[in-house]
Amino acid sequence: MNPEGWREGYDEGEWKIALVFILPLALTVFVFICLPVMGTFWNSLFRDVSYLPKMWVGFQNYGKVFKDPNFFPALFFTLAFSIVAVTLETFFGLLFALLLNESFPGRTFLRAIILIPWAIPTIVSAKVWKLVYEYSYGVMNVLVRGLGLSGEKINWLGTSGGAFWALIFADVWKTTPFVVLLVLAGLQAIPEDLYKQAMIDGAGLWRRFYKITLPLVLPVLLVSMIFRTIDSLRMFDLVYVLTGGGPGGSTQTLSFLGYRYFVNDRFGLGSTVSVITFGISFAVTLLYLKFGKFRERLK
Amino acid sequence: MREEHVKRLLVLAGSLLLLIFALGPFGWMLIVSFADRPDFLATREFSFSLQNYVDVLTSPSLHFTDYVWNSLSVSFGASFLVNLFALPAAYAISRLRFPGRILIPIVILAVSMFPQISIVGYLFDLFSRLNLVNSKIGLIFPYIAWTIPLALWINLSYMQQIPNDLDKAGLIDGASRWKILSKIIIPTALPGVFSAFLLTFIACFNEFLFALMLSIDYTAQTLPVGIALFEGLHGEIPWGNLMAASALASVPLIVLTLIFQKYIVGGLMGGAVKG
Repeated sequence: MNPEGWREGYDEGEWKIALVFILPLALTVFVFICLPVMGTFWNSLFRDVSYLPKMWVGFQNYGKVFKDPNFFPALFFTLAFSIVAVTLETFFGLLFALLLNESFPGRTFLRAIILIPWAIPTIVSAKVWKLVYEYSYGVMNVLVRGLGLSGEKINWLGTSGGAFWALIFADVWKTTPFVVLLVLAGLQAIPEDLYKQAMIDGAGLWRRFYKITLPLVLPVLLVSMIFRTIDSLRMFDLVYVLTGGGPGGSTQTLSFLGYRYFVNDRFGLGSTVSVITFGISFAVTLLYLKFGKFRERLK
Repeated sequence: MREEHVKRLLVLAGSLLLLIFALGPFGWMLIVSFADRPDFLATREFSFSLQNYVDVLTSPSLHFTDYVWNSLSVSFGASFLVNLFALPAAYAISRLRFPGRILIPIVILAVSMFPQISIVGYLFDLFSRLNLVNSKIGLIFPYIAWTIPLALWINLSYMQQIPNDLDKAGLIDGASRWKILSKIIIPTALPGVFSAFLLTFIACFNEFLFALMLSIDYTAQTLPVGIALFEGLHGEIPWGNLMAASALASVPLIVLTLIFQKYIVGGLMGGAVKG
């Protein structure tokens, strides 16, 4: 075995330059991501509370977290939120992308308008939604009653069901534009000839959609869904502003639970929840890498 | 021709839905920000007022201008530095042959999809010891790390479109790789660099969890933190002021997005790594 075999077939001058060019980036990733992730794992093995000396406890924190009555509801809420939010985002994303792929007057205008929710900072949008959901003078209740959807005012943020949907709507509003952009790019890549041929063959609007559009745009939908899932699994901002995890702890995400441990000076347990959150995200990230065809893009 | 009618109807309905969807909450924010009181739906009396904007911009206890300044300097610093790091790396990955050429960007992408909570506790601990909590520098570093995949992959996607012949011509003339990058490739890839800069800037400007945990008061808190913690003197939420601050925070971003729509969309497609 040639110990220097790993660089066989490479021009020495060239890979040395490459090393220098990549070093600052790689170093930043190592120091500010890899090290902290490992450090968080390390911290999760300690009892670390402000009022007692720091002590090695092995994996005891994991047992403690699993026994915390907040953990499984938070895990369940995070998963339920991600599934429902990503489904709706994909539905509306596809719907609006199909619309913006048609040619009609005003298309350019609408393609710009759809970016507005994307451009607004999440915290700002969360505050706006909070006002919209306001019980006594929020516009949501005026609309819901005006449209006859409900006779009574809905306590959006004060009931666990209302809070769930309040968070979902706010998230769908903010993130659908991103899905629209991805799907639109996918739609534009479908050759026009396919539709022309199908029309000659007498295929109607619906048939053309599910025989041509849907199968061809499916890979893009899949990648966007995986990406959106990674993002919603770590959701924090909306919960922080809209519900504060409430009512009664019913809308805590894993990120929010970890944050609460940290601010309550329970670093060991906070780190433990963070490690679990990282593990779940990382598993989905591997799917993203598999279906995102990033390797092919590097050829 | 029945199908034509159906289609036209669908387009019309879809356009209306899209307009209401995209503009609804944004429009409501503007309306409340210009109202003299936020509960006008209950009182049924609306009168126009600029008082909320005056309050936000002139009241020193709200620290609105401090937050704006913090956000701008942190976002600008981080997006400048992350692109400074990402450009040579993207160049090497798109041009040079070296072991790990495929693996390194993939690994960077994988580790950079981390949930922020998984590193912020450790960073808080570390930065407390280094006296970096509640400082702008202490925010810039995590922001650089957080936006690396975005900056790297956008620059990469633009650079891959530049023919290698430019480099070869440069090499024959005896230019170094560094010179080729700075004198030929970056000027050619400028739209890509600009788009990467815009998107990393917006990402940093909107970031919340790092800023919330790594800053303590208005000397380092960014606009999202300021807005999230915005409270009246007696603990009630001053909705009018809050909506005016929200409008002031988001309208520049919206204008920026609409003006540079081409770069934003191009960058998001090239990166496709951050919502």
